[in-house]
Amino acid sequence: MDNDRSHDNLKEQDYLKDMPNHEFDEAVNTMQSSIQDEIAASTDLLGDKLDISMLKNEYSADDVQYQKKIQNLEKRYSHVRKTRGDGNCFFRAFGFGYLEHMLSDKKDYPIFQENASNSFQKLMDLKYPSFTVEDFFENFISVVNSVKEGVSHTELLNTFREEGMSNYFVVYLRLITSCQLQSDSDFYQNFIDGGKTLVEFCKTEVEPMYLESDHIHIIALTSALGACVRVAYMDRGGDDLSFHDFPEDSQPTLHLLYRPGHYDVLYPR
Amino acid sequence: MSTPARRRLMRDFKRIQEDPPTGVSGAPSDHNIMVWNAIIFGPEKTPFEDGTFKLRIEFTEEYPNKPPTVKFISEMFHPNVYADGGICLDILQNRWSPTYDVASILTSIQSLLDEPNPNSPANNQAALLYLENRREYEKKVTKVVEDSWNMTENLNDNFPSKT
Repeated sequence: MDNDRSHDNLKEQDYLKDMPNHEFDEAVNTMQSSIQDEIAASTDLLGDKLDISMLKNEYSADDVQYQKKIQNLEKRYSHVRKTRGDGNCFFRAFGFGYLEHMLSDKKDYPIFQENASNSFQKLMDLKYPSFTVEDFFENFISVVNSVKEGVSHTELLNTFREEGMSNYFVVYLRLITSCQLQSDSDFYQNFIDGGKTLVEFCKTEVEPMYLESDHIHIIALTSALGACVRVAYMDRGGDDLSFHDFPEDSQPTLHLLYRPGHYDVLYPR
Repeated sequence: MSTPARRRLMRDFKRIQEDPPTGVSGAPSDHNIMVWNAIIFGPEKTPFEDGTFKLRIEFTEEYPNKPPTVKFISEMFHPNVYADGGICLDILQNRWSPTYDVASILTSIQSLLDEPNPNSPANNQAALLYLENRREYEKKVTKVVEDSWNMTENLNDNFPSKT
């Protein structure tokens, strides 16, 4: 199966190689945007809270490996909330999940709010353009502040379901992530392969929308905001789920489910 | 209707009026804030000097999360500009960041004029001449600079979406 696929890919690459640059770029763009449109039409930016047992239906009953992992997930978690798989899922799941948690438990709020407020000046110190960054920051901080001001759960959910507001929030989380990576570049540079400089990495893999997140994004974002996140990894590797806490040895506030290429929000029992 | 894209474009427009960047200008077309007309003046002390090149910028509702489409309306001879006026510039493709605005897009295109990247050519002839026969390249550029003035005279006939 994998062999067949790589063979097809090879043929496709040959075909693409013969295309002039312009047509190639256009073909890639059209392909990407039609995939994104398809995803957008089929899933909400943020779904409703679903019973965790719903996940079973996504895999065939004789997929023993996944069914067993889901059983284990059920022991720890009662619900899951899905996000749209548009490449922004980690940021959207993090943004909504964290604020949602702080609606009922304000313990983490002061530190989160303080880090959030200071982030703008940090971006200015890195010479980001104030004119545009300010626009994203104002939207971001007003959503963060709304948690303290008693916004309702429904209002918060609507904010993250409304494409414009939701994406503005994601843009700013990406900027915070990028800022953190650049502020501690000696450390983060070690994680970057492919010969990119850290700034190059931020410009091509952190700041542009719709690009997927990796470990390094999670480490940077959680440490910038002083947030604690546990990720439950459910993939083909190993017999059981694996868990990773960011930062290590912290008491997680937010739980996320990772399946290859995608993050959703989990709710502990 | 006010959407984030439209609100942001009004902001961009306000800024370009209040704090105009040197050598470039742009404004929404008469009836549609999603389509802008822009002018880039050829940078001084380059073969493009004195050119007044017209461009059209088309935004979608996904701006600023996705870049707009920018095309030269004026004839252009440049290694990174396609025959249809389309521009091959990283910040308009894979290096786009929502922190860019109209002013920064136009300024980047202006710098591209004298700092082409002949290694990823959109116009093979221009790239080749740029690398191997700079005199001939500059002659071709002078031609598009002169053509750009003619277009200015017929601005009302040729400017897109002008009714």
